[in-house]
Amino acid sequence: MSKEQEIRSVLFYLSVAVFFAGLPVILSFSLGYKFNPHTFKFTKTGIISLKTQPSGADVYLDGKLLDMKTPATINELIPGSYTLKIELRGHYPWIYPVNVEPRKVTRFEKIILFPSRTNIKQLNQVKISCFWLDREGDRIYYFNQDENILYKSDLDGGRFEEIGSIPVEFSPLPKEFKISSDRQKLLLINAHQVCVLSLRFQGSLSYSKPSVIFNFSNKQINDVFWHSDSYHFILVTDKDVEVLEAEENSTPVNLVNLNKRNSGIFYDTDKDTLYFMDFQKGDDGLLYNNVYKLELNNKENLLNDLIRLRKNAEK
Amino acid sequence: MQKNKIKRFLEIVPGSLSWGIIIGLILLAIFNPVCCAIIIIIFDFYWIVRTVYLTTLLVMAHHKLYRQKDINWLIKCRRLGNQSGLDKLKHLVIFPVYKEGLDILRPSLKSIQECNYPKDKIIVVVAFEERNPLSKENARNLESEFKGYFFRYLSTFHPDGISKEGRTKGANATWAAKRAKELLQSAGIPDEDVIVSCFDADTCVAKEYFGCLSYHFMTSPNPHQASYQPIPVYNNNIWQAPSLARLVEISSSFCQMIESMRLEKFVTFSSHSMSFKTLVDIDYWPVDMVSDDSVIYWKAFLFYQGNYRVVPMYITVSMDVAYSNSFFKTIQMQYKQKRRWAWGVENFPFLVSAFLTENEIPLLKKIRRSLHLLESHVTWAVWAIILVFIGPLPIILGGAFFNQMSIGYNLPKITGLLFNFTFGASLAWIVLSRIILPPRPKEVSWTKNVIMILEWIMVPLIILILGSLPALDAQTHLLFGKYMEFNPTQKSKKMV
Repeated sequence: MSKEQEIRSVLFYLSVAVFFAGLPVILSFSLGYKFNPHTFKFTKTGIISLKTQPSGADVYLDGKLLDMKTPATINELIPGSYTLKIELRGHYPWIYPVNVEPRKVTRFEKIILFPSRTNIKQLNQVKISCFWLDREGDRIYYFNQDENILYKSDLDGGRFEEIGSIPVEFSPLPKEFKISSDRQKLLLINAHQVCVLSLRFQGSLSYSKPSVIFNFSNKQINDVFWHSDSYHFILVTDKDVEVLEAEENSTPVNLVNLNKRNSGIFYDTDKDTLYFMDFQKGDDGLLYNNVYKLELNNKENLLNDLIRLRKNAEK
Repeated sequence: MQKNKIKRFLEIVPGSLSWGIIIGLILLAIFNPVCCAIIIIIFDFYWIVRTVYLTTLLVMAHHKLYRQKDINWLIKCRRLGNQSGLDKLKHLVIFPVYKEGLDILRPSLKSIQECNYPKDKIIVVVAFEERNPLSKENARNLESEFKGYFFRYLSTFHPDGISKEGRTKGANATWAAKRAKELLQSAGIPDEDVIVSCFDADTCVAKEYFGCLSYHFMTSPNPHQASYQPIPVYNNNIWQAPSLARLVEISSSFCQMIESMRLEKFVTFSSHSMSFKTLVDIDYWPVDMVSDDSVIYWKAFLFYQGNYRVVPMYITVSMDVAYSNSFFKTIQMQYKQKRRWAWGVENFPFLVSAFLTENEIPLLKKIRRSLHLLESHVTWAVWAIILVFIGPLPIILGGAFFNQMSIGYNLPKITGLLFNFTFGASLAWIVLSRIILPPRPKEVSWTKNVIMILEWIMVPLIILILGSLPALDAQTHLLFGKYMEFNPTQKSKKMV
């Protein structure tokens, strides 16, 4: 037999030995068994799987720090009850009593470690009364009621700047804020008023174009939605649903009169469709709640209708 | 009749086993995922150990190839003295050709013309198929270029439609060998003084090939009871070939190198050499089987009642990488070539049915060789499918119960370990592949060096598409008795 063949024979038998020696170890480990060399017996064990957000946290089991960081797997645990603690500097600790079952894995894979208070950051740089978040535009708008000034910043409070003032007639404090889809206009709403502010040049308030205030003293405003054309807005009050142009002297077009003062309203911006609930009297004289769908997406027809209605109104 | 039934039964065995394993594991994954996972873990671990073992053999084979690459074998032969029989030894080289053109044949013949061995000891036979309309013209062209350089140069034309013959390479080679026998008889050269080499049309021999072959033949005990197998590499156009084709062929060379270290299992493959006397004694190559290169070994094995072996020669014969200028066509070509190789599964019914009527070979040897043949083909058909496709099935199909068990948690980790391990091993393969690579041609950019390293990330894709599927396809054909015809791989040097 040549030298190569001798080496090959040794390698072959070594491989066979490794396979048969390693297989019981791998299989018992995979199936959740641990070999006890003292008793020469296999013991059933369990597993704890840990994943945290953020990762790299210390793991304590029954108060003892383990030599691992998350994400981690604690293998070969004798079944029973344990107390698990996850700690990461600058974050609140996560503590949980856990019951490890034989040949099973207990998964804690959605742990969020929340930052402790030291991470809280003040965003506003001046006195403010309220704020709104424009997630899509990555902006925060702030309102100072005492001085009637509107500010904006990015989501980290950076680039904090004044963008204009709100007319003094707009009172009380706006309860809601809606920005148009073209991000050119801003609606401020309180119980009886809608104020349209024109934003230009990447979100700055244009002083050249004055703001417009719509007063609805005899109605309670429930909600306001921008139409996708960013020119009309839909006003839902306790009495009716109207559509208005976001311009001075716009004549409201009444779309629906409502019986119910405060009904559920949803507006699908993508399809320009309003869903609302109202009651109607049935043939039996009883009142029934119904859900209605009002499509405002056929822009051409809608605009034609508006023009026609306006002309009628002017006459 | 009974014999036919047994042979048919044996044809069904490999395909049934492969499909049985695949379907069985899928059903287990659905109905008993724990059991399926245990089998997959055993298989994964077996594959890790096997990868280490085979990679070590590959390193050893490479080392041997590297060590022997500068040997002047002809001088070594001459040092053996007059009694060695070198002077009377003749080399008969047969190139069975079908559609291969002059661009393929010319470099092959030129490599023989340029080899370091006396040309007056070499007989070249270019064996054309008569049914190819270009064969006469090609023969004339080659004769005008090469006829005067060798002891004898012969063009043969294998007629189509001979009774009991298939359209196989073996039929053509046999026809050519019989014509060569007539030529040798007329020249008064006995069969035992001739070594026959049957080469694919694109085979370019290394300069020292015939010296190396002569040396091994003269120094082997019972030289007529052995085939002589060089290491096939696919270097002719390896720099021009696309990544996918190149990787597949490098892997094929690696497989052969590994096999060359496992002598008790070593079987002839592709271009190889043997005693012409033995070839005549065993009635030449099979004329109706596709896998003639391996069947010839088994015929000799049976003829010599099990006392026949393959002697590895650590010298290369270089062939063309099969590829096309379209990615999908390359996959198709490679797939067909691998399926043809995998059709070697037809050796199993051939061998076992022959063993049943053979009484001289020890039973243990028969069982060992049969089982190895069966195991190698079944493993070829299922391993990649198990690793890539069935491996994740228990987790996908096992449901919440399985996934909360320890084994459900550990299975993907062990499978991941296997893939990491394979990736580690492939780093060794990348280094080794550089050793058998020819120098980069000037017209090929240096960036190809980088591509040739990065392309190894395609290994998982290749092992599935060109690893198991062609073998499973071939076994399924045999299972249903749909016999394959010899389908030569289209090769051309013009595709760059």
